Amino acid sequence: MSATPASFAPAAALERVTFSYRDSASRALCEIDFVLRPGEMVGIMGASGAGKSTLVKCLNRLVPAFEDGDFSGRVTVAGASSDDRPVSDLAATVGMVFQDFEAQLFSTNAGLEVAFGLQQAGLPREEIIARIGPALEAVGLGGFESRDPTTLSGGEKQRLAIAAVLAMRPRIIVFDEPTTDLDPEGRAEVLELIQSLRGQGLSLILIDHDAEALRACDRVLLMRDGAIIAEACPEQIMPRVADLESAGVRPPDLNRAWATLGLEPHPRDLATAERYLRERLGERLAATDNAARDARPIAPDRNLLTVSALRFAYSTAAPAIEDVNLTIAAGEFVAIVGRNGSGKTTLAKLIAGLLTPAAGVIRLDGRDRHELSALEAAQAVGYVFQNPDHQIFAATVEDEVAFGPQNFKLAPDEVSRRVAEVLAAVDLTALRSRDPFLLSKGERQRLAVAGILALRPRLLILDEPTTGLDYREQRRMMTLIEELNRSGIAIVIITHTPWLIADYARRVVLMRRGRIRFDGSVSEFFADEDLLKLASFRPPEINLLARRLGLDALNVQQFVTAIRALRSRDPAA
Amino acid sequence: MLTSLYLDRASAIHRLHPVVKLFGLFVVFWSVFWVDRPLALVPIAVLLILAAQVAGAWPNFYAFRWFLILMIPPTMIEWMAVYRQGPPLIDFWFIHLSGAALRYGFGKGLRLAELLAASILFLSTTTVEDFSQSLINLRIPYRVAFAMSLAFRLVPLFMDSALTVVQAQRLRGYDFDQGNVFERLRRYVPAMIPVFMGALRRVNNMAMALEARGFGAGVRPTNLSAYSMTRRDVVACALLIVIGTVYFLLYLYGYGAVTP
Repeated sequence: MSATPASFAPAAALERVTFSYRDSASRALCEIDFVLRPGEMVGIMGASGAGKSTLVKCLNRLVPAFEDGDFSGRVTVAGASSDDRPVSDLAATVGMVFQDFEAQLFSTNAGLEVAFGLQQAGLPREEIIARIGPALEAVGLGGFESRDPTTLSGGEKQRLAIAAVLAMRPRIIVFDEPTTDLDPEGRAEVLELIQSLRGQGLSLILIDHDAEALRACDRVLLMRDGAIIAEACPEQIMPRVADLESAGVRPPDLNRAWATLGLEPHPRDLATAERYLRERLGERLAATDNAARDARPIAPDRNLLTVSALRFAYSTAAPAIEDVNLTIAAGEFVAIVGRNGSGKTTLAKLIAGLLTPAAGVIRLDGRDRHELSALEAAQAVGYVFQNPDHQIFAATVEDEVAFGPQNFKLAPDEVSRRVAEVLAAVDLTALRSRDPFLLSKGERQRLAVAGILALRPRLLILDEPTTGLDYREQRRMMTLIEELNRSGIAIVIITHTPWLIADYARRVVLMRRGRIRFDGSVSEFFADEDLLKLASFRPPEINLLARRLGLDALNVQQFVTAIRALRSRDPAA
Repeated sequence: MLTSLYLDRASAIHRLHPVVKLFGLFVVFWSVFWVDRPLALVPIAVLLILAAQVAGAWPNFYAFRWFLILMIPPTMIEWMAVYRQGPPLIDFWFIHLSGAALRYGFGKGLRLAELLAASILFLSTTTVEDFSQSLINLRIPYRVAFAMSLAFRLVPLFMDSALTVVQAQRLRGYDFDQGNVFERLRRYVPAMIPVFMGALRRVNNMAMALEARGFGAGVRPTNLSAYSMTRRDVVACALLIVIGTVYFLLYLYGYGAVTP
């Protein structure tokens, strides 16, 4: 972006905007000044509750027209003050794509979905019909006019939501964490589509709490506690690793590695990073032995779970699980990966006993699942659902944890002992008498885990335990899971997040179309290009860099160690 | 997961004007209201079967088969207990069962099944948008019509979340099927709270997305549905009026009653 701001009227501007939600003591936004230029792509990052969504909702007046609270300041959109205008009035100028893609599609087919906003604006019928095709075309859904949105994949649903916004021909499009609930394939689709919208005079705002996704923006805002604490182009802001981390944002792997190693300047992308290191390290790189090794060996002593020749089908459709064989030993940490709909959750539900296999055997601790009592099964395997809100109902945090043990008629003193123990483990002791519905998403997720832990399972299955959490909460959740694993509980997590696998898992199981396509170590999985393509999975950037350099490192920590080892070989480096 | 009953076909019934289909649904409700006699209900059943065949709606009827069948016996028993006319076949203590009571009960059950069948047929052949558009054509305010159509979309979402919640609580050793009817209802509280809270969250998100897409702008929303009244629609309306009138006459002249 080289254009001088003065030569353009801003696409939108916020002047000293302050907002606090009703019933909230703290301010969600404090004295925000922000100018959005025409044709610009701005990224916003920050922890949950930093004010990212609140800021963008000011642009189409969802704040303060829809969200109740105290508002002061001035908002100008396309040159006109938006004071007292209804939200619907701004819909044609500011389009918004939300995280919850299920909740933004209302129609029987994709064509009508695109038409919805245009109908609301009262456009002539012929005009609406003429716009449907091109809008679907623009998001790669050409010919989907009569498809039922509920039959689309997550990525397709989100693209349809974007088509519906595009058809309105807005000047500004806001993407509020559009990829949070998507699998890697859907995420790539949507981010690619957003990129393709640039350079058409549209101003774009992308909110994400993974800094890597924002590297292509013209400008990035870092928010914290309702204020913009930094605002710069990505090249300038990404190297500020400590600032990002303290604001609850995951810095890009490359910047984290460079900062830890004290290297300057920070690379812009993978290619620059590779060139930089090759120049500095030269032939020492070639000398490294590239023998595959796993830093964290598995020590299987006994099998907790044995699944053999498992088969399952929903109704009469093609089997959701076919010929699955899987063994999990005590103390293991396994990640199950695969596209949405590949059978991951179905497999977990079969193991948890929520579904009954059509064929095959599931053994827990060597005994057939059928022979176990409900309590024995609950002690053998615990399953934490993806959405914590599917199980939380009690009036206090304590009662919520006590629910399971009480159902199994444990003695009252045993129940309270377990509640205390489990709350300490998930670090919720201080909140024990609080109402669970008032906790943050991260706290609710930990509470859901606590509810299952109270039954003392030896194997814990967690279905996407970090989805929808910001970086700080994700780390906290994963540290908790790692501690549980150290205390002897075998862990199986279903996840889409590459860095999480690199940092924590020791074994990867890849599912595709109901079958296990790969079962092995993390480094083997990351190194197998064909498999990765099959799973639309991209390993963490630092692992890609390490492999290009012929090094063996899954995560930043291992990478830093490897580079330090290389440097120490020759003090002149 | 069943999300919508609509079957995307191009049958003669699909192509009828949605207002005519809505009228058809009304005529079925109207007609069966006037008669109790099973024999008098048979023509409606035949018409519904014919319509289902024309519309190719059998997959939906198959999905609802148990509802359609199981609806009849309980209703029958219930009404037989109330109906006290006609010469008794069995007359013991408080049980008074006559041939007329049997027919009356069966008629009530059949009537309910027909109402369900007509509704399934309507939803199989009409999109939610056309449904709300036909309400708007009948001078029902846009917001009300839209809310009704949205309700159809929300039900499956809530059913899905209810199912997950029940599974989650079962895993924690919770037994939903314990004690008498009231006890059981009370035991569903741990399932109802998460479903309810989730619904609130979701509805809030939906409302926000709706507003962001211009819902509730002052202008009259464009009608996109491509229907105009054709000769076929007029004929269908005429037929429906005849059917409605015949059933009213059946009632008026007493042919619809079980006992003369």
